[in-house]
Amino acid sequence: MDEGTQPAAAPPSGTQPAAAPPSGTQPAAAPPSGTQPGGSAEIPRRRFLRWLLGFSILSTMAMVAAPVVTFLVPPKSSAAGSGGKVLAGTVADIPVGTGKVVAMGSQPTIVVNTAQGVLAYSAICTHLGCIVMYDALSSTIACPCHDGRFSPANGAVVSGPPPAALPPVTVSVEGDEIYLVSA
Amino acid sequence: MTADAEHAPLPTGGSPALTSTGGWIEQRTRGRALMDALLHVRIPAEARTFYFGGIALFLFGIQVATGTLLALYYSPTPEAAYDSVLFVMSDVRFGWLIRSVHHWAANLMILFVVLHLLRVVFQAAYKYPRELTWLFGMGLLGATMVFGFTGYLLPWDQRAYWATVVGTEIAGSVPLIGDQLLLFLRGGEDVTGATLSRFFGVHVLVMPLALAGLLAVHLTLVHQLGLANPKRPEPREGPPKGKGIPFFPNYILDELIAWYVVLALLVVLASLFPAGLEEQANPLETPAHTKPEWYFLAVYEFLKLVPRIFGIMLPIVGLGLLTALPFLDRRPEVLARNRKVAVGVATVVVVAVVGMTARGFLS
Repeated sequence: MDEGTQPAAAPPSGTQPAAAPPSGTQPAAAPPSGTQPGGSAEIPRRRFLRWLLGFSILSTMAMVAAPVVTFLVPPKSSAAGSGGKVLAGTVADIPVGTGKVVAMGSQPTIVVNTAQGVLAYSAICTHLGCIVMYDALSSTIACPCHDGRFSPANGAVVSGPPPAALPPVTVSVEGDEIYLVSA
Repeated sequence: MTADAEHAPLPTGGSPALTSTGGWIEQRTRGRALMDALLHVRIPAEARTFYFGGIALFLFGIQVATGTLLALYYSPTPEAAYDSVLFVMSDVRFGWLIRSVHHWAANLMILFVVLHLLRVVFQAAYKYPRELTWLFGMGLLGATMVFGFTGYLLPWDQRAYWATVVGTEIAGSVPLIGDQLLLFLRGGEDVTGATLSRFFGVHVLVMPLALAGLLAVHLTLVHQLGLANPKRPEPREGPPKGKGIPFFPNYILDELIAWYVVLALLVVLASLFPAGLEEQANPLETPAHTKPEWYFLAVYEFLKLVPRIFGIMLPIVGLGLLTALPFLDRRPEVLARNRKVAVGVATVVVVAVVGMTARGFLS
């Protein structure tokens, strides 16, 4: 394209300009035609093409980026076990004063049999994510990584670095069987 | 870089093009001279590349990008490979698209590499001084075929498994080295998890590095020697004669348009004909009508017609002769009408290969 010699705006196809632009000057706009609303400011052709090019490049980049970015987001795992009950064991497996770590879907959960009954908590230490265990000697739930201690009665921090209590998990004892109930 | 260039004054950011970011980067990279040397060259006005080589390069870029994405979900074991591909196709968002683009770009890459080769043959662009460019180009063709062959097994479905069994079996029939070659390719007597590990490693580690290395040399040579003029031989001394046009922006712009068209074609093919997945590989049951991919179909069909040893040796000898082409055809003549033998033989080979491939499709 030859810059500077083009009329500032092209007439709509199929129509002829009413008059040739005077030589050496740039017409401000194409002559009004029946298809265009009168009075609107028109865009010079070169700027319009630049916008069109920019829009095409941007939309192509978006077309490529959108599938790539969404591809990278992992889909929700169907093995997460959302909802339902999981058999954690029997009361005979976990007598009073003991505890056991079981998997609820992909979530490690600690089931403890205390004087208050059978309780369960998330087994993921709130400090740095290690898996806690039941320590029969001190009758606490203990984290082997940094010796964080939790109360079996309510999951609260007894000592050590954990910043928060272990989140409780709903337990249902049906006859001899202990079930973990997930929301 | 020369001593003079080292002491050249640094750009100060005075010119509009060098202000702000551009000037900052230029002061720290001195990249402008390099870009000028790479881009501001001239190509013969008569040159007609049809953009085949550039399109093959573009498709390789697509393969690197989509292949890297697929590798994030793929598990290269016989137990998990099929399920991981199924997972990509059905669960991962746009997984079907990424895999289908990878599938189609692989096919198109082989097609365009072959078209590029034919263009070079018919225009005699392999002649002096481009013999080495040709050899590295043949290496790139080989690398592309190995990419296709190793990638084919990875989905671990029936088609993948049995194509690999037959393909490696054919390689095992090569005289003298066949038995060792078969063991080497399969990583054992049969196509097993060992084969899958091997093919995966070759496909995602060995071949990308090999192809990138070959490509770097090939492109450097293309840049150093310029494009061949299909109308007049390269003079032994002095610069090539004839009118030139700027490589940048003229040729680059055309090339980008060609890439854009190919990108659109890829999206259409991937959307309308997504890559399939058959039953999981079963080493105890060969499916009926097993056929290799179209680019191995001519050899496969040829093997049906002639004794095995002949069917295997002819393509090998043919490829050997093709590789040695610039050293066999050393006349400077480039016009097709004056190269009756070369153009005639090439035409016969192309017709035979296309005919065999068509026969394979129909059989």
